[in-house]
Amino acid sequence: MNEPEPMGPYDTLKSWRESHIGNHQTSISELNHFHDTVMQNLFDISLSEVKEKLGPPPCRFSWFVMGSAGRFEQAIISDQDHGLVYHVSNEKSREYFRELGKEISFGLYEIGYPYCDGGVMSSNPLWCKSNEEWEMQIDKWLEEESFESIRFLLIFYDARVLAGEEHGITRLKQQLHHHIEKRPYFLYRLFENTRHVKKAVGVFRQILTESHGSHAGYVDLKHSGFFPYINAIRLLAIKENISDTSTLSRLEKLCGFPEYKELEGCKVDFEKLLNFRLQQHQVSELYDDVHYLDVKKLDKKDRNEIKQILLNGKKLQDYTGTVIKRMLENEN
Amino acid sequence: MEDIMFSLNSVWLILGAILVIFMQGGFILLEAGSTRMKNAGHIAGKTIFTFGISSIVFWALGYGFIFGENGNFLVGLSDFFYSGYEIEGMDYSTAAYFMFQLAFAGISLTIAFGGFAERAKLSVYVVFAILFSALVYPVVAHWIWGGGWLGEHGKQDFAGSTVVHLTGAMAAFAATILLKPRMGKFNKNGTANNLYGHNQVFTALGVLVLWIGWFGFNAGSTFVVDDGFFGFVALNTNLAAGAGAISALIISWMVLGKSDIPTMLNGGLAGLVAITASCAFVETWAAVVIGIVAGVLVFYSMKLFERLKVDDPIFALSVHGAAGVWGTLSTGLFATPELATVGQPGLFYGGGFTQLGVQAMGVGVSGAYAFVISFVLLYIMKKTMNGLRVTEEEEIMGLDISEHGSYGYPEAFLTKEKKISS
Repeated sequence: MNEPEPMGPYDTLKSWRESHIGNHQTSISELNHFHDTVMQNLFDISLSEVKEKLGPPPCRFSWFVMGSAGRFEQAIISDQDHGLVYHVSNEKSREYFRELGKEISFGLYEIGYPYCDGGVMSSNPLWCKSNEEWEMQIDKWLEEESFESIRFLLIFYDARVLAGEEHGITRLKQQLHHHIEKRPYFLYRLFENTRHVKKAVGVFRQILTESHGSHAGYVDLKHSGFFPYINAIRLLAIKENISDTSTLSRLEKLCGFPEYKELEGCKVDFEKLLNFRLQQHQVSELYDDVHYLDVKKLDKKDRNEIKQILLNGKKLQDYTGTVIKRMLENEN
Repeated sequence: MEDIMFSLNSVWLILGAILVIFMQGGFILLEAGSTRMKNAGHIAGKTIFTFGISSIVFWALGYGFIFGENGNFLVGLSDFFYSGYEIEGMDYSTAAYFMFQLAFAGISLTIAFGGFAERAKLSVYVVFAILFSALVYPVVAHWIWGGGWLGEHGKQDFAGSTVVHLTGAMAAFAATILLKPRMGKFNKNGTANNLYGHNQVFTALGVLVLWIGWFGFNAGSTFVVDDGFFGFVALNTNLAAGAGAISALIISWMVLGKSDIPTMLNGGLAGLVAITASCAFVETWAAVVIGIVAGVLVFYSMKLFERLKVDDPIFALSVHGAAGVWGTLSTGLFATPELATVGQPGLFYGGGFTQLGVQAMGVGVSGAYAFVISFVLLYIMKKTMNGLRVTEEEEIMGLDISEHGSYGYPEAFLTKEKKISS
C-alpha cells in the first residue's frame, strides 16, 4: 500500500478553493470576494509558516495585490501580481519580508494562482521593499520616464491592500499625483505607454480573430477588449485623483463628474465584457482560454454586441487622449 | 550583320541563363529565411547539389526528351548527352540555348522541393531530383515547348507559368501530402500554428533576387534581341510583380487587420509567376490586373491550404501553383490579336472562349500529369526507401545536424549543447 503523501500547509486551502469556487460564479464581484477570501487565508498560512522559522513580523507592513486582483476583476484563473511594503528599513526586516514574500508566491502557486511572467510578485525584491525604499523607487520611476518604469507605475496604481496596514500604500500613490501636479505632461507619457490597442475590428467591420495558434478563430478579449477600457479608465482616475482600484468603481466615480457623463455607456460595455469572460469559464478552465472568445459560437446579437464593445474600447482610448491633450492645452 | 545578330542573341540567351540560375540564390534566401534556424544550412546547401543533379540529368536525358526528334506522345527521343554541337540555321548559339533551357529545368525542381522543406530525408532529395528531372518536367516541357501536342493546339505559355511553376508546384503538392505536416504545425483541435521563418530579411532579399532573375526568365524567353521586344516583356513582368505585392499587402491588411510581410512578399512572387505565361501576349494594363489578381489569390490560397491541413512551408503551392494556374488562364482572357503570335486572342479581345479553353485544358492536363506522376514516384520511394521523412528526433534536432552533421548557425546551437552537457 502506498503511504499517503504528507499534507502540505496549503493543501487544505487548495481543496477548499477547488470545491467552492464553482459556487461563486454568478457575478464578477462575488467571484472576486471569493478570491479575496482565499488570498487572505493564504496570507495567514504563509505568515504563520514564516513565524515558525523567524518569529513574528519585526514591524508593521502591508501586503497588496495588483493587476486584475487589484482591480477586483479576476477571472476564475488569474496569475498572481502582488507586493509588500514594510515600515522599518533594516537588514532584519528585509530578510524577514523577503522570506514572507517567497512563501506567499509559493503558496499562491500551490493553491492555483500561476506565477507572474513579469515577476510582479512579493518574492521579487523589486516589489518587496521598506516604505523608504518604495518612496525612492517610485521617485526613480517617475524621473526615469522609461517605457518600463512607466509600466511599473501603472501596475502599482492598481494596488489594493489585502493584509496588514490598510493605508500602507496611499502615500506612495500620492507621489504620482504630486509629480503630475508639477509636470502635467507626464499624464500624456502615461497615455502613450498604453496607447497601442490590438486591432479587433477590420475595415469591413468584421471581427478580427487570431489567425494562428490554438485559439485561431477566437478574438483576443484581453488585449483587444479589456485593455483599452482598463487603461483609459485608470488614466482618467489618475487625472481626477480617484483612489478606487476597480475599473467599475473608477467609472462610477468618474460619472459623478459632469464632464464625464458620456462614460455611462462605457460602464455598460465593461460590465458586458466581464460577463462574456465569466461565461467563458463554463467552457474552459485553462488560464489562457478565458481570455479568448470563440466568436463562431456566439449568436448574431452577441456578436454584434462584442463588436460594438471592441469599437467603443478604441473610441474610449481616443477620447482619453483628447481629454488629456485638452487639459494640457488649458494649462499652457 | 547576321553574325552580329547571332552573337548578340547568344549573349542575350547566356545572360538570361545566368539570371535564371541566379534565381537559385533567390530561392536559397527565400526558403532559408522562411524556415527555422536549425534547418538553414541544409535548405541552403541542398539547393546547390540538387541544381547539380538537375544539370547533369538535363544534359543526359532531359534536353533530348523535351526537344529531341522521333518522339512519341510523351517525349522526344534523340539528342541525349548533348555534345555542344551547333544546329545549322539557328539565330543563336545552340549551346547558349541549351544552357538557358537547363536553367529553367533547375528552377522547376527547386520549386518542387519547397514542399519538402524541414522534414524530408536527404536521400529523398537525391533520388527525387533525378526522377523529377527525367520523368516529370521534360514531359510537360515537351508537350508545350518541344513541339508536343499542347504546343500544336496553340497553348500560350511564354516563359513557363505552367511548364516550370505549375509542374514544380504539383510535385510539391504530392510531397506535402505524402510527407504530412511538420511537427507542431497543427494542433489537436485542428487549428494551425505559425512556424515562423527565422529571418524575414533573407526572405525579402530572396524575393528581390528572384524578381531581378525573372527578367532573365521572361525577357530572356524572347531568345532574340532583334526588335527589342524583350524590353516590353520586362516591363510587363515588373508591373505584375509590383501590383501583386501591393494587392497582397492590401488584402492582408483588410482581412487580418495587419499588413502581413510574408503575404506581401508572396504577392510579389505570385505576380511574377502569373505574368510568366502572359508577359509577351498582353498589354501593360492587363499585366497590372494580372498581378493584382495574383496577389489576392495567393492570400486566399495560403489560407485555403492551411485549412485543408496541407503544410506548405514555403507557400510553393500558392505562389507557384495557384498563381501559375491563374497566369496560364489569364492569357486566354487578355491576349491581344497583335501580340498573340502563338494561339488566338483572348476572351476580352474578341477571341471568344477558344484560347481560354486551350489554356484551361493545358493547365488541367499538365497539372494532373505532374501531380499524378510525382505522387506515384514519391509513393514508390516511400515504400522502398523506408519512408520519406526523417525521424521525430531528427526533425526536432534539425536537419542541419541530423543530415549533415554541422549547423548553419553553429553559435546558436553549440553553446546550448555545451550548457546542457556541462
